[in-house]
Amino acid sequence: MDDSTRRRQQRRNQPSSSTSSTAPTRFRSQKFSTNPTKTTQSSNFIPRSNTTTGTTRDSTRNPAHIPNWKSEANAATNKHEEETEAREDVGSIIGTCPFMCPEGERAQRERLRDLAVFERLNGDPRKTSPALAVKKFCRTISLKYVQSSDVRPLAVLENTLNYLLNLLDSSEHPFEVIHDFIFDRTRSIRQDLSMQNIVNERAIHMYEKMVKFHVVSHQRLRSCSSSSISSLQYLNLEQLTKTLTSLYIMYEANHDNNSVYENEAQFRSFYVLLHLDSKNQQTELLSLWFRRVPSLIMKAKEMCFARQVLRLYRMGNYKRFLYTVSSEASYLQYCIIEPYVNEELDVESLCHSCGLETLTDNGENKSLPMKQTTFSFPKGSLQSYKLIGLQQ
Amino acid sequence: MAYPSMGEAHRRITDYLNNFSDAVSYQDVASLAQLFSFSSNSPPLLSVADALNFFQDANRLIKQSEKFSQYGEILAPLFRSLQSYRTGNLVDAYHAFEKFANAFIQEFRNWESAWALEALYVIAYEIRVLAERADRELASNGKSPEKLKGAGSFLMKVFGVLAGKGPKRVGALYVTCQLFKIYFKLGTVHLCRSVIRSIETARIFDFEEFPRRDKVTYMYYTGRLEVFNENFPAADHKLSYALTHCNPLREANIRMILKYLIPVKLSLGILPETSLLEKYNLLEYNNVVQALKRGDLRLLRHALQEHEDQFLRSGVYLVLEKLELQVYQRLVKKIYFIQKQKDPSKAHQLKLEVIVKALKWLEMDMDLDEVECIMTILIYKNLVKGYFAHKSKVVVLSKQDPFPKLNGKPVNS
Repeated sequence: MDDSTRRRQQRRNQPSSSTSSTAPTRFRSQKFSTNPTKTTQSSNFIPRSNTTTGTTRDSTRNPAHIPNWKSEANAATNKHEEETEAREDVGSIIGTCPFMCPEGERAQRERLRDLAVFERLNGDPRKTSPALAVKKFCRTISLKYVQSSDVRPLAVLENTLNYLLNLLDSSEHPFEVIHDFIFDRTRSIRQDLSMQNIVNERAIHMYEKMVKFHVVSHQRLRSCSSSSISSLQYLNLEQLTKTLTSLYIMYEANHDNNSVYENEAQFRSFYVLLHLDSKNQQTELLSLWFRRVPSLIMKAKEMCFARQVLRLYRMGNYKRFLYTVSSEASYLQYCIIEPYVNEELDVESLCHSCGLETLTDNGENKSLPMKQTTFSFPKGSLQSYKLIGLQQ
Repeated sequence: MAYPSMGEAHRRITDYLNNFSDAVSYQDVASLAQLFSFSSNSPPLLSVADALNFFQDANRLIKQSEKFSQYGEILAPLFRSLQSYRTGNLVDAYHAFEKFANAFIQEFRNWESAWALEALYVIAYEIRVLAERADRELASNGKSPEKLKGAGSFLMKVFGVLAGKGPKRVGALYVTCQLFKIYFKLGTVHLCRSVIRSIETARIFDFEEFPRRDKVTYMYYTGRLEVFNENFPAADHKLSYALTHCNPLREANIRMILKYLIPVKLSLGILPETSLLEKYNLLEYNNVVQALKRGDLRLLRHALQEHEDQFLRSGVYLVLEKLELQVYQRLVKKIYFIQKQKDPSKAHQLKLEVIVKALKWLEMDMDLDEVECIMTILIYKNLVKGYFAHKSKVVVLSKQDPFPKLNGKPVNS
């Protein structure tokens, strides 16, 4: 059974529904300038811990706060848990695993032959090594039973992430396979980070790299042709949104009053670009989301770009939309916008064909209905709008 | 306030206990509610709090008499909460208040009539306000602010208690409004949906039965949700209801309603008078209105920029941005009128370059292609009737009603 099938099976087995694509991890931190996040629908993070392994505090950690996994359906029990939580001063785990994969898991997966292609030593499905095995994401961990030797500390996680992202350059395997592996293993990295409550600047940089991975996958998966692509795309988009939302919480938690992270504006702009469509209450989401973005960020170049793109797209001003995108979008921004661009090019040709068609109709004064598909293609030439070349 | 003597403290506490017990016996809801209306900071209440902090053993007093001890579960946490509130320890005050409130609800359920509803309202209000203050205290100590969310869960429970066939059900709308306030503050507005569904579809509820004040508040919040969703006809209906039924003396409330109603009305092509904006101090909309009247795109953009933070915070920014199309319509209409004056026979043909020139004059730098695009959009959305002759780059307007008014309907999407 390969990784992606197993992951899908795990998804099916989970008890609560996972309709949300915006459920964040919850991080508590030293400073809170605003109340943290909104939704508490099911997230892929772990329920609260009762353990207090390790007592040393270090500067990478938040004192006494643990991610909170709650489902709105359990409001009554949540309340009870909240009460008990308030009384206790609970610690969080400090990981000590020095390898990319804890030894116990590595040995077990060797035995069960549960090794991804990248983990196999010389292609042998029964053998791996500390340099190749990477800890898998496991949904149903209860923090109660987690040992610190199974959790990787920050430095190990950083190295693991870099190792994983280097695999993207590999040309030996089709992109879906690479994506699938990195998708799962980075999810496990986020899991380890959240178990240890690490929300500092280094964690922010890691999250930013993971967001980049999902954004690039968003684009690259579109040109893949396997049968499971659309579910991969959907899952990727879901994780992209979740990771982004967690990242925003971390930005918010780490703000001094006037400082912002250098990349924050760009990463905030992704959220806007992901919500260009106005269906499915996306507008509501955006209006609410804008309320919480710091003013400095709203005025930053990347956000202004995203907002302008939003305005142009929703108004239907395809000409300036395409022009703005082609001249100002960064590579990552373009990855997200691309599907909308393709859509616009179709509308544009339809637009022109309608214009010509009505002219040939004796100049009857009527409005131009764009939705009619009964027109035959006009005899006149279609003016094509050339997309100005993109730089990466 | 001077420290009371032991005897004085004893007296104050016993008086309080008597007031509580009598209020319940005589179903005197006004007196009862005063006893836990912390945010009023009334001197009698605070003096009882001082007495409690001094006396330190109020539980003994509660147990002394059957008259009080029958409400022991309610009174003990209430006292603790009052004490913590007085010493400024709001997190503890919140916790104890929630315990008190839970115990009170249990008792409330047993009372058949709805006599204590006003007291329940006070509890619902106080718990929300206390939770907000507790969260601020937590945040300033670097801890995670979760009390308001807890208050929300508690109020959902209260809602459940009220949602039955008996006379208590008219209280459900007040609790709903407190929940709205919590969800809006937390940003979890999607949670409003389940409550709204209960109110609007459950057969036990008849909307007209609810108190007027609660109906207004309810329509205000549900109207705001519709604004967020850019569902303008529904928003108009709800916010207008709130406006017409709101007490005209409550100017602050009217202002809040108008703050959201005005962008909605603008989107439906209905403009407010400047005098209205002046009366309710909503002058941030003034330039927007002028821009719509004059077809001045530059002014609209400027107005949005000038009050950007305000509009973003209230959540109407995207709505106002959309007004751009109506501004374009107005501009084109003006050009049409000018042409009509010069040469009525040719007025219905608008050359694209003329529109480009007008926009340039407004410092809007757009080329022919872009203006063509905009004109096509205006035609598509029925803001302009006519067609676009692509080869000659001319907009040919319909001879009849070339610039249809919105007439209270939103721009076609």
